[in-house]
Amino acid sequence: MNPVLGYVAIVAVTLATTLIGFFGLRVSRTTGDFYVASRTVKPWWNASAIGGEYLSAASFLGIAGLILLQGSDALWFPIGYTAGYLMLLLFVAAPLRRSGAYTIPDFTQARLESTTVRRITSALVIVIGWLYIVPQLQGAALTVRITTGLPSWVGAVAVAVIVGVVVAAGGMRSITFVQAFQFWLKLTAIGVPVVFILLFAWDAPPGDPTISFPTELAPSTPDAYLTISLLVALLFGTLGLPHVLVRFYTNPDGVAARSTTLIVLGLLSVFYIFPTILGLMGRVLAPELATADTADAVVLLLPGRLVPGALGDGLTALVIAGAFGAFLSTSSGLVVSLAGVISQEAFGGSVKGFRIAAVCSILVPLAVALVAEPGGLAGSVGLVFAFTASTLCPVLVLGIWWRGLTDRGAIAGMVAGGAACGLAIVAGRLIGPGVELLSSLLAQPAAWTVPLSVLVMVGVSLGSKRRIPGSTDLFFRRLHVPERPTAGR
Amino acid sequence: MTAPDEVTGRQVTGPALTGTPPPVKGKLDVDTVYVRSLVRSQLRLAVACAIGFVLILGGLTLAFLLAPGLGTLTFAGFPVSWLMLGFGVNPLVIVIGAIYVRSAGRNETGYLSLSDRDGPT
Repeated sequence: MNPVLGYVAIVAVTLATTLIGFFGLRVSRTTGDFYVASRTVKPWWNASAIGGEYLSAASFLGIAGLILLQGSDALWFPIGYTAGYLMLLLFVAAPLRRSGAYTIPDFTQARLESTTVRRITSALVIVIGWLYIVPQLQGAALTVRITTGLPSWVGAVAVAVIVGVVVAAGGMRSITFVQAFQFWLKLTAIGVPVVFILLFAWDAPPGDPTISFPTELAPSTPDAYLTISLLVALLFGTLGLPHVLVRFYTNPDGVAARSTTLIVLGLLSVFYIFPTILGLMGRVLAPELATADTADAVVLLLPGRLVPGALGDGLTALVIAGAFGAFLSTSSGLVVSLAGVISQEAFGGSVKGFRIAAVCSILVPLAVALVAEPGGLAGSVGLVFAFTASTLCPVLVLGIWWRGLTDRGAIAGMVAGGAACGLAIVAGRLIGPGVELLSSLLAQPAAWTVPLSVLVMVGVSLGSKRRIPGSTDLFFRRLHVPERPTAGR
Repeated sequence: MTAPDEVTGRQVTGPALTGTPPPVKGKLDVDTVYVRSLVRSQLRLAVACAIGFVLILGGLTLAFLLAPGLGTLTFAGFPVSWLMLGFGVNPLVIVIGAIYVRSAGRNETGYLSLSDRDGPT
C-alpha cells in the first residue's frame, strides 16, 4: 500500500478533529459546560454523537475481521452491539436522565445514600474505561503499521496525544460536536467504499459458496453456550458503558432521552450493514487475509485491491480516515467520562482538575497498550462488555426498578460479579482453549457472572432490608414521573 | 445545570436527597400509589419488549436448525442464512424500540392525567 495515502488521511482527520474541538472551546466555559454540555443538546445531535462515540475500532475494523476469521458466529456481534441500545432504551434511558446525576457514581450514591457504593462504582468506571481504551490504541497501532509502515507504537502515541489535548482543552461541549462529526465521517468512510466495491466486484467471477461459506461455520451450527454468553455480554454491557451513559445527561428530559436512543438504534443499524458486507465479501475475495494477524485489516485493504487506480487510492484513504476517526472518537469519549469521574473523586470537580484527570485517563491505557500483546479487536472489546455487564449493569437496573436494593447488596453484587468475571478472563488466558466446557465458561463468562452478580445483589439486599434508604419512594418518583410541560420550556 | 429538578424542586448537582422526610410507615399517599403503578406498568412493558426480542432471536435460530436448506440456498453468491443473520435482525430491533417509545409515552400521559385529576399534591 502507498504510505502517502495513510499519512494524508491521518493528518486530515487529526486536523478536522482538533479544529472542530477548538471551535467548540469558544462556547465552553463553566464547569457545567465541561461535564454535560448544559443539557441543551438536541436528540439528532446527541444520537449522532452517541453513534460517533460508540462505533469503535471493534466496530469499524473488528467485525469484518472476525467474520473473515470465524464465519457466521461473528454476525452476532453487530446484533449485540445494536440491541444493547434496545436494552438501554427499555431499562435505563429515561429514568437515568431524570435522576439528574452527572455520572454513574453520582447515580449510585444518590440512590443508595452511600459514599462507599460511590467509591466502588467510581473505581469500576475507571477500570472499565481504561480496559476499553486499550483496544482502541491497539487498533490505531495496527492501522498506522499497515498503512504507513511506521512502527506500531507511533499510532498508539499519536491517538493518545490528540485525545489528551482536545479533551483537556475543550471539555464535553466541543466533544459533542466532534463526536457527531465522527459518526457521519465513519458512515461515509465505510459506506462509500462498500458501494464502489460492490460495483466493481459485480463482474468478478463468483467464488464457490461451499468454500467461502462452509457449513461448519454457518449459522445453523452455533456453539449454543458461547453465542448466548456473548449476547448477554453485549446486550447488558452497553447498559453500563460509562462514556455512553454520560451522554444521556445531556438530553433535556426523559422523553428526549428515549427519542435519542431510538435514533441511535437506527443509525447503528445502518452503519453495521457495511462492515458486515465487507466481512462477507472478504471471505469470497480475500480469504488469504484470514489469519489472526491480518484479519482486522481487511476493511483497510479490500478497497485498494478491488478498485483500480486513483479511485481505489482515494477510497483507501477514506477508509483509513474513518478508522482513525473511530479510534479518536471512542477514546476521547471514554477520556471525557473518565476525567469527569476522576476529577470529581480527586479534585473536587474543578476545571483544572478535569484537565489533569483527562491526561491521567489516557496515559494509563497508553502504557498498557504499548506493553500488552494485541488480541483480536472485537474479542477484546467483547470481554470489556462482559465485565461491565457483570458489575455496573445490575446495580443500574436494580437501582432503577427495584425498591429493595440496599448499599450492602449493591457492593456485594458488584464485587462478586467483577471478581468472578475478572478471574475468569485471566484464568481463561492462562488455561487457553482445549479443556472442553471449562474453556468456554472462562472464555465467555457473562452468561454465569451476570446472573451471579444479580443474585448476590438481590440476596444481600433482602438480608439487609433495614438499610433501604428512607428516600427511596421520593427517588423513584424523580426517576419515573414524566416532566410536566411548564411555561418557558 | 442549575435547573431545579422538575419533581422535587430541589437543585440537582449530583448527589442529593439529604434531609428527605422519613417515610410514613404503613400509609401511602395517593400519588405514591400512582407512581408505584406507573413504575410497574413501565417495567412490564420493558420486559415484554425484551421477551419479544429474545423470541425473534430464538425463532431465527430455530429456523436455521429446522431448514438447513437456508445454508445452501444462495442469493448473489451468499448463503441466505448468513444474510438473514447479518441483515435481518436489526430492522426488527428498531420496530420493537419504536413500539416501546410510543407505549412508554402513553403510560406517562396516563399517569399525568390521573395525577392532575386528583389535584397537585
